[in-house]
Amino acid sequence: MVNVLDIKVVRDLWSMRLQLLSIAMLVAAGVAVFVMSVSNYRSLIGAMESHYRNERFADLFAGTTRAPLVIADRLREIDGIGIVEPRVAKPVRIIREDTNLPISGRIISLPADGQPLLNRLHLVQGRWPDPLHPEEVIINAAYAEARAVRMGEPIEVVLNGRLQDFRVVGSALSPEFVFATRSAVPLPDDRNFVVLWAGEDAVASAFDMKGAFNDVAMTIAPGSSVRHVLDELDRLLAPYGGTGAYDRGDQPSHRFLEDELAEQETLSIFMPSVFFGIAAFLLNVVIGRMVEAQRGQIASLKALGFANGTIALHYFKLVTAIALLGSAVGLVLGCWFAVGVVGSYRAFFRFPSLDARFEPWLLVAATLVSVVAANLAAATSVYRIAVLPPAEAMRPATPPALQTFAWLQTIGSRVIPLQYIIAARTTLGRPIRTVLSTIGIALAIPLILFGLYWFDAIDYMIDVSFSRVERGDAFLTFTEPVSTDTLHELKALPGVLNAELQRVVPVRLRVGYRTYRTSAIGLDPGSELRVPRDKALQPISIPADGIMLSRQIASQLDLHVGDTVSIDVLEGARAVRELIVRRISDDILGSSVTMDRSALNHVMREGPVANVAALRIDPAQSELVWSRIKSMPRIEGSSVKALWLSLFNDTIGGMVLIGALILAGFGMLIAIGVVYNSARIALQERAWELAGLRIIGLTRREVSAVIVSELVAELVVAIPLGLLIGRYLIELIASARASQSFQIPAVIDPSSYVIASLLVIAAAFASFIMVRRRIDTLDLVAVLKTRD
Amino acid sequence: MQTSEQEAEDSAAQPPVPVFVARGLSKVYGSGDSQVTALKNVDLDIRQGEFIVLLGPSGSGKSTLLNILGGLDAPTSGSAKWRDHQLTGAGDAELTTYRREHVGFVFQFYNLIPSLSVEENVRLVAQIASDPMDPKEALELVGLSHRARHFPSQLSGGEQQRVAVARAIVKRPDILLCDEPTGALDVDTGRLVLAAIAKVNAQLGTTTIVITHNSAIAGMADRVLRLSGGRIVKEEPNPNRVSAEDVQW
Ligand SMILES: Nc1ncnc2c1ncn2[C@@H]1O[C@H](COP(=O)(O)OP(=O)(O)OP(=O)(O)O)[C@@H](O)[C@H]1O
Ligand SMILES: [Mg+2]
Repeated sequence: MVNVLDIKVVRDLWSMRLQLLSIAMLVAAGVAVFVMSVSNYRSLIGAMESHYRNERFADLFAGTTRAPLVIADRLREIDGIGIVEPRVAKPVRIIREDTNLPISGRIISLPADGQPLLNRLHLVQGRWPDPLHPEEVIINAAYAEARAVRMGEPIEVVLNGRLQDFRVVGSALSPEFVFATRSAVPLPDDRNFVVLWAGEDAVASAFDMKGAFNDVAMTIAPGSSVRHVLDELDRLLAPYGGTGAYDRGDQPSHRFLEDELAEQETLSIFMPSVFFGIAAFLLNVVIGRMVEAQRGQIASLKALGFANGTIALHYFKLVTAIALLGSAVGLVLGCWFAVGVVGSYRAFFRFPSLDARFEPWLLVAATLVSVVAANLAAATSVYRIAVLPPAEAMRPATPPALQTFAWLQTIGSRVIPLQYIIAARTTLGRPIRTVLSTIGIALAIPLILFGLYWFDAIDYMIDVSFSRVERGDAFLTFTEPVSTDTLHELKALPGVLNAELQRVVPVRLRVGYRTYRTSAIGLDPGSELRVPRDKALQPISIPADGIMLSRQIASQLDLHVGDTVSIDVLEGARAVRELIVRRISDDILGSSVTMDRSALNHVMREGPVANVAALRIDPAQSELVWSRIKSMPRIEGSSVKALWLSLFNDTIGGMVLIGALILAGFGMLIAIGVVYNSARIALQERAWELAGLRIIGLTRREVSAVIVSELVAELVVAIPLGLLIGRYLIELIASARASQSFQIPAVIDPSSYVIASLLVIAAAFASFIMVRRRIDTLDLVAVLKTRD
Repeated sequence: MQTSEQEAEDSAAQPPVPVFVARGLSKVYGSGDSQVTALKNVDLDIRQGEFIVLLGPSGSGKSTLLNILGGLDAPTSGSAKWRDHQLTGAGDAELTTYRREHVGFVFQFYNLIPSLSVEENVRLVAQIASDPMDPKEALELVGLSHRARHFPSQLSGGEQQRVAVARAIVKRPDILLCDEPTGALDVDTGRLVLAAIAKVNAQLGTTTIVITHNSAIAGMADRVLRLSGGRIVKEEPNPNRVSAEDVQW
C-alpha cells in the first residue's frame, strides 16, 4: 500500500510546481556552473597532457648563434639530461600576392628520417615531406586554416634575405605551438604568423648551418635538478652565443597555456563556490520559508501521532526530489555549456583533440553536493518545527514583536494608508526573515554583475592597452638593427603620420635564483606611440638610467623601486648588467622591461640603432603605405592594431562572451527565482489575511499593494547591497586571476550596475504581475472555510 | 438617520419595498457523479432594516446563500439584487464596490489583520468608506474602546469577534452579514457579540442576516428562515423579538 505521506510528497510537488521549479533552477544554476568550469579546466589539462605525452614535448630549450653538432654530444653528457635534439630554427618571412602585410614565420628543421625525437608533429592534413624533395614543407595547421592553404600549394619564403620556393605537403600541430605567437603580445595571429617544418638539409644550407645547430630541445631525467642542468647548458653553450637555456616555464606557448590554466583553476574553484554558496543560501531561505508555511500541517501530523523522524523524512524526500530535478537540469546545461566553452578555446589553443570531458566523479559530486546542500537547507527549518510541541506549532507563527512598532501607530498610521502599515509591520516585525530574503535578492545581483563585468573589463583593457599605452596603428620588426635613416625613410612615406623607433631585445632578469625571460623595450624620451602608465593611467616618464618594470614582473621577482636586478641580454654580445629599478608600470597586456633607448644601446654596446618601428598611419592611405613597406628590405614582420583588435574580438571576445552570457543568464534566472519565491511564499502564508481584506471591500489593487510594498521595501535595500557585494566579489576574483600574461582589471562600468539593477527590477516586476494575478483569482469563499 | 426614519414611516403606511430580491437562486458544485447542489431554486425577499436569522443543518446551504447575498460568490443560476445593485452576473469591480460601500461581514473566524491594532483594524474599513463613523465610536458600541491600542493576538476570542463587529459597522453599512458569529464563543461572550449586532440593527436600521446553529438566537429575529437541502423549507415571522440579554441558549 502506498504511504499516504508519499502521496502528500507528490501532491505538494505538484501544487507548488512553479515555486519548486524556481528552487530547482537555483540548484541547476549552481550545478551547471560547477560542471562547466571544472569540465573546462579538466578538458584543457587533459588535452595538454595527452598532446605533450603523445608528441613528446621537450622539458628544456636553448638557443645559440651557431654551434657545431659535436657540441650536442657534449650536452648529452650533462648529468640529468635525457634526450638531446639539436636543430636549426630561424625567423623567416612569407610573401603572398594577396596581402601587402608582411607575414612573419619561423622555420624549423626536421631530421632526414622523419619525426623528430622531441616536439613531434601531429599531422592534420597531407603527408610527411619526401626526403628526396627538399622543397616540401609542413606548415602549422592554424595558418593553413586561417589562410585556407591547400596541400600542394607553393609558398614563397624569404630565408636569410633570399626568396625561396617551397611546397606545402602537410599541415600539423606541435606541442611547441599550441599557442602560436611570435611576440610578447599574448594573442595568436594565425593569419600573419606561420611555422614551417622542412628537411634539415634544406634549412641548414639556406642558413649556412651545415653540421651545426642554433636551437636545441631536451628532456630532463626525472629527479634531476633543473637549475643545475640549465646552468651546465648555459656554460657549455656560452662560447657559441648561447641565448640562455630555459625550461617549459619560459617557453612562450607553454607559459601562456599555464597562465590560462592557472586562471581556469582559480575560476573553477572560485566561481562554482560563489555560485553554490549563494544558491545554498537561497535554498535555505526559500525552503525554510516553504517549510515554515506548512507549520500547521506539520503540527497536525504530529498531533495525529506521526513521529518526528517520519515527518522529517517526508520533507527530505520532497527536497531531494527538487535537488535531483535541479541537478539533472544542471548537469545537462553544464555539459552543454562546457561543450560550447571548451569549443571556443579551439581557436585559441591548438590541440590535436580538445573535447569537453565529463569525468564521472564530477557528475556524481555535483549531484551529491546539491542534494546535501538542499537537505541541509531544509533540515534547519524542519528541525525548528519538529521540536515544537504540536499545540504550539498549530498556532500561527509567533506574531511579530508589534509593540515595538507602536510608534507607527501614533505617527504613521494617521497619514499612511493602512495597507502600507501592514506591510511595514510585517517587514519590520520579522527582522530575521526580512534580512534573509533581502540578502537573497541582493545576492542575485553579483551573479548578473559577474557576467557583465567581463565586457567592461575587456573594454577597459582594450581602451588602456590600445589607445593609451600602444598608441601606434602598426608596428614593424626588422631583421637586423636599423638606424635613424630608416626612421626618416618611414616618416617620408606618404600616409605615415608619425613614426618612432624602439629597440626590443630578449633579456633574462635575475634576482638570486629567480629568473624571468622577457623583452627589454628601449624607448626615446617623450615617446608618443608607446606610453607606459601607472594605475591611475597617468603617463610615467622613461628613466634616463635604470629600468622600469611591469608590476607583474616586479611582484614575481619581489622587486621594488631602488632594488638592483641583474639583466642578461640574450642577443648580440650577451651583455650582463646590474641595473636599478627606477619605476614600476601597470601593464594590462603583456609584461616588459622598459628603458631609455640610448641606455639600452649602451648596454648592447651598439650605436643608436633600433629594430622596431611604431607607426601612425592615415587610415585612408594605409594600402599605399603597406605596398611601399612590402618592398622595403629587412622587414621581418608587422602587426596592425586594427587587425589585432578584430582578432581580439574574435578570440578572447568570443570566449568571454559565451561565459559572460551564461553567467548573466543564470544570475537573471536566480533573481527571478528568488523574487518570485519571496512573493509566492508571502502570498501563500497570508492568503487568509489578504482574502479578509478583499472581503471587507479593499480592491485588488489595494490588497496587492500590501505584498508589493513589502517586496519593494526589500528591493530598495537589496539592490544597493547587491551592487556592493558584487563589487567586492569582483575585486576578489580580479586579484585571484592576476597572471603574468594579462591582468583583468576590476573595472565595472556604471552601466553594468544599472543593467544588473534593472534586470532584478524586471524580475521583481514579473513577480508583481504574478502576485496580482494570484490576488485576482483568490477564492474568497474557499478561504473563509479554512483557518490555515 | 433621516432616511431610515422616513422608511420607518413608509413601512407603517404600506408593505415596504424589499431591498433584497432573489429569484430562483441555485448553486451547483462540481459535475457528473460528484455534483453537489448547495442551493435549489431559492426565492427570497428581505425588507430594509429586517433582522433575519438563518437556521438549518450543516451543509444545508446557509453560507452559500449568505455569500451570494454578500457579493462573495456567484450562483449557478437565478438572480439576486440589492436595491439597484445586480449581484448576479456582476463583475469583480462592481461587487467590490458593493461590499465596500454597503456590506459589513462578521465570520466565525474573526478575520482580523494580525499586524494592525484593534483601532487600526477598524480604521482600515473607515478609511475606505464614504460616510464612516469614528472608529472609537464603533469600538464604543461593542464595549472595547479601552483596548483600542492592543493587537488582535492580545485579545480573547470574544473580544476579537467584537472587534470584527466594530469593523463591520464602522462604515454604517446598509447590510450586516454574520456567519456563525458566536460559533467559537461561550454563552456569555456570545451574548455580548449578539447584543452588539442587535444594537447596530436597531440604532442604524441595518438590514441584518445572521446564520446560527443555535435556535435560541432565533428569538432575536424579525423573521427566521429554515434551510434544508438547499431550499428554504420554513419561514417564521417572529412578532415578539427578545433582546440579546434575554436569549436563552
Ligand atoms: N467548493 C465546494 N465544492 C463542492 N461542494 C461544496 C463546495 N462548497 C460547499 N459545498 C457543498 O455545498 C453544500 C452547502 O454548503 P454550505 O457551506 O452553504 O453549508 P452550510 O449550510 O453553511 O453548512 P455549515 O452549517 O456546516 O456551515 C454542502 O453540501 C457543501 O458540501
Ligand atoms: Mg456554513
